[in-house]
Amino acid sequence: MPLIIKDEYPEVLFREDGKRLDGREKNELRPIKMEVGVIKNADGSAYLEWGNNKIFVAVYGPREVHPHHLAKPDRGILRVFYRMATYSVFDRKRPAPGRREKEISMIISDCIEPILFLELYPGTSFEVFIEVIDADGGTRCASTTGVALALADAGIPMKSLVSAVAVGKIDGKIVVDLSGIEDKAGEADLPCAITWYNKEISLLQFDGNMDLNEMSEFLDLAKDALGRIHQIQLDALKSKFLTIQEKSDEIIVNKENQGES
Amino acid sequence: MENDKDQTEELDEFEDEETTRDLVVPGEVLTEDTKNFLPGRGTILNNEGDKIISLNIGLKQIKKNYINVIPLRGFYTPRPGDKAIALVVDKNPVKYKCDINAKDYAQLKPKNTERKGRIRGGRGKDFEHERLSTDKFDIGDILVVKILSADRLNKPELTTIGKYLGKKSNGIVISIDPPKIPRVIGRSGSMIKMLKNLTNCNIFVTQNGRIWLKGEDLAHERLVIESIYKIASEAHTMGLTDRMQEFIIKEKEKRGIK
Repeated sequence: MPLIIKDEYPEVLFREDGKRLDGREKNELRPIKMEVGVIKNADGSAYLEWGNNKIFVAVYGPREVHPHHLAKPDRGILRVFYRMATYSVFDRKRPAPGRREKEISMIISDCIEPILFLELYPGTSFEVFIEVIDADGGTRCASTTGVALALADAGIPMKSLVSAVAVGKIDGKIVVDLSGIEDKAGEADLPCAITWYNKEISLLQFDGNMDLNEMSEFLDLAKDALGRIHQIQLDALKSKFLTIQEKSDEIIVNKENQGES
Repeated sequence: MENDKDQTEELDEFEDEETTRDLVVPGEVLTEDTKNFLPGRGTILNNEGDKIISLNIGLKQIKKNYINVIPLRGFYTPRPGDKAIALVVDKNPVKYKCDINAKDYAQLKPKNTERKGRIRGGRGKDFEHERLSTDKFDIGDILVVKILSADRLNKPELTTIGKYLGKKSNGIVISIDPPKIPRVIGRSGSMIKMLKNLTNCNIFVTQNGRIWLKGEDLAHERLVIESIYKIASEAHTMGLTDRMQEFIIKEKEKRGIK
């Protein structure tokens, strides 16, 4: 007889001191760590640790399209492959790509496409591989953020970066960046992404119950959080080069000092 | 040595006086003064037309009234006239298929591998057929080629007729990021001259990010390879030629090679 463990969620999602179960404020993000250039053989790559989420992103392209019938004669195509490792969630996930993976691949592709100049690369494809090693709520937002980083690392011309975050409602209160438990036990969940060159919403999904009047409140909270995520993205992209630049500056300064003394 | 003359005209855009040390990323606003500046390479005007934004990760450069971004990462786009190191990956009786590190495989036709007028006196169908065979090179050969034609839609066409072009039967080929090639050459060839003089190696740098080199022995070759990788990783820093010179002299003492 197979062992069946029922999903059990706490009834109250706030602690007595008013903070969330993992000790965050309502508008606080989980700890985020981003790194670029982690996969040597890829043209561009990124690694994200977003709370308990661990995600690798690799970008290849522009290159020939296989199967060839997918190629468009007037523009390039962007193909996104979002996959979850079998051990990334509590129950073993079947390794074959399911309905959910195909949907997330599609929405990430649609979300990223406006910032690329695909019409400059007819008959080619840009391929993005997302591998979720550990999942704990909000992987589609984290993946979208990581894809933007990996594309920039690959040197593909793009109008700006894209950042994404989920806003939701738990126990009647609006919070930002839902964790796995909050996502499942909460009332509403609204992932959204922004393209920074024109500050337009590029992804907006919704699930749950909420009042339409609360929408602007949701988006205000998201905008504030997205700004902070964008800053982390910029730092991650620049730090790789800035550390080398600073090191060389030190050598020059040391040499000048020696020359003076 | 081999290709000094071709590369001396190349400017080192990284060490250009107009290049600032500002690292910019895609979407970063370069200037809001659109009256005095125009968007140049690697930049775009935003929809409202009041800001110039960067498209690449790179260094900001102001040249006259143009704002450019010198990319630090990127891929190779073939242009007619470029020299490239190609790997023959496939062949049939009509053409060779070559990998030149671009989005498409390039094609090399046999008529572009033989100098015209070299074989004389032949006439008729049989002679033509014999002349246009693909026996000259094999799959896996390394060729130094020039790009005859390249555009967005069609496959690039190559030639091996010309100075320094043809098959390479010895030496080592390494590859680096194509945007960093100007840095390996240096301003009017200073970096490559320094590398050649200090290590006595023969080095051929091509636009598609591949570098062919051959030295007296393996020790020298290893030193050159390490130096080139170091140049590529520190391409965005100032005073690199002097630092590389010191590095090579130091390493030569350490390793006990002349």
